[in-house]
Amino acid sequence: MTHGFAVDRAFATVAFKRRLAYKTQWLVALVLGGGAMLVSMAMWSNLIGSGSLSGYDWDSMRAYLIIGFVTATVVFGGADWHIADRILDGHIAIDLTKPVDFQRARAAEYIGSMASTVPTVVIGVVGAWLLFDPPGPVSPTAGLLTAVSFVLIFPLAFGIMYLSVLVCFWTKRYLGIMWLREALLGFFSGMMIPLAFMPSWLQSIAWALPFPHFTTTPAAIYLGRVDTAGALGLIAAEAAWTVGLWFGGRFVFRHAVKKVTVHGG
Amino acid sequence: MPILEARSLTKTFRRPDKASGFKGAVKHLAQRKYKNYTAVDGIDLSIEAGESVAYVGPNGAGKSTTVKLLTGILKPSEGTVRVMGRDPHTERIANAHDIGVLFGQRTQLWWDLPVEESLKLLKHMYGVSEADYKRRIAMFDDLLDLNEFMPALARTLSLGQRMRADLACALIHDPKMVYLDEPTIGLDISVKDRLRAFLRELVNDGTTLLLTSHDLADIEEVCERIVVIDKGAIAYDGSITKLKAHYITTKSVHLHLEGAADVPALAEKFPDYAWAAGQAASEVVATYESARHSTAEVLGSLTAQLSPRDLSLSEPSIEDVIRRLYAGELTK
Repeated sequence: MTHGFAVDRAFATVAFKRRLAYKTQWLVALVLGGGAMLVSMAMWSNLIGSGSLSGYDWDSMRAYLIIGFVTATVVFGGADWHIADRILDGHIAIDLTKPVDFQRARAAEYIGSMASTVPTVVIGVVGAWLLFDPPGPVSPTAGLLTAVSFVLIFPLAFGIMYLSVLVCFWTKRYLGIMWLREALLGFFSGMMIPLAFMPSWLQSIAWALPFPHFTTTPAAIYLGRVDTAGALGLIAAEAAWTVGLWFGGRFVFRHAVKKVTVHGG
Repeated sequence: MPILEARSLTKTFRRPDKASGFKGAVKHLAQRKYKNYTAVDGIDLSIEAGESVAYVGPNGAGKSTTVKLLTGILKPSEGTVRVMGRDPHTERIANAHDIGVLFGQRTQLWWDLPVEESLKLLKHMYGVSEADYKRRIAMFDDLLDLNEFMPALARTLSLGQRMRADLACALIHDPKMVYLDEPTIGLDISVKDRLRAFLRELVNDGTTLLLTSHDLADIEEVCERIVVIDKGAIAYDGSITKLKAHYITTKSVHLHLEGAADVPALAEKFPDYAWAAGQAASEVVATYESARHSTAEVLGSLTAQLSPRDLSLSEPSIEDVIRRLYAGELTK
């Protein structure tokens, strides 16, 4: 029997339900995420005023911050600790006795847990729309391509998270790896500050990495910073990173699984 | 062809070799040293389809490491293992579909979800049909009272409930080869009895079973063959009947006499038996070689000459044999 979509759906559903089982945590995430967006809005409103900075006026910055809120909520809402814990406490022994592709099962779980952030995103975006009235996408095509870019964020986030978690097979620790990944992601994605504010050499480094596709790519498409061909190019790059990270994950896992040292019964 | 065949199976782990204390930790940062530790040392093991094999050993002997090698969790350092013709490590997914595994110390349940959700996820994983799933759940309910806690979150279960649920998880797909590592932890005696009867039936239906347990009653009631592992190597491999016949060579008669028992006098009167005082002053134990003396002969001579108030017969249990095997007091 091969690992079919029914199994993927089952894993994703279980992960989704598991996240929502902790309602307080879900509410806290909504309050914190929404709060952070409000603080950013207030800060940038004061900085930009009626002018513009690095090509961002207040209109475009409002839209950018909401896009950043969406991507940060989704990306940081995934249950990476659940996967890391299973490697570190030896529960991976159980996973390896099941007839499922380990990576594919973890992808389904991760995407299921990311999906549990969608209600937070909807509430946050509706609230932001009502409070700040940001501009819509520059065109219907841009809107559609932005949505495509958002969808690709799910497997792209998994790819980056999965590779970083696999490092646990060697390091036996996850916290430091997580901090490093989130720092790189937060900085080079443009979530903290748009890449346009960085010097060009730093932007070049950012674009050599997958991280800009989390915030900068959807924002650039939405705000019309790239034309349709440019948008398709960015989406193609995002998809290429997704595919590359997937196969990179498979390669690393093949070696990582030889390092399993589950002691104690 | 055996269903499971391991040849020279070896697993060596690399452990940090550092001195204790703060200095040791700092020194290890600069100068990393490692020691090799062999958990499983050149094991040859062959199991035929339909066999029920007990795999026992003292703590740290290598039992669980062996099970992890056989199930494909760990890659052997040396040697080979084939299960149903497959390498369980490199052909992990195919192998996993035909095996059921229960690790007593690790749950298969999804901790934050009801037991029923975990079982349904496993149903999808193994491709169990709805009809088979319902039939097996009904069977597990009958045996293990599963419905009592199906809606409960796994993290709220008692140990005994968790073990029962884990057993259902290991068997939901009717596997051909089953590995049970300490399956009766936390179960009360009536559930243990039912579980042992169930496992016997499973074996009678053709399932191959490898059972590790420190409860030797599990082993005696379920398994025909016993493999004893100690310090990573096999100390004994044979039928339980032969183990008992080989190592249990004595029997004991416990006598309650009318007056106080005079052990030296009894030893002089019956020099063929070994005598020891019992718990009370009037109690005494006579131990004899069962190959040299029949029970009827011994009982006949003791009752005729001593007229005891009461007597009982006992022989060393398999626990005594295993204990002596662990202690290295017995050779193969």
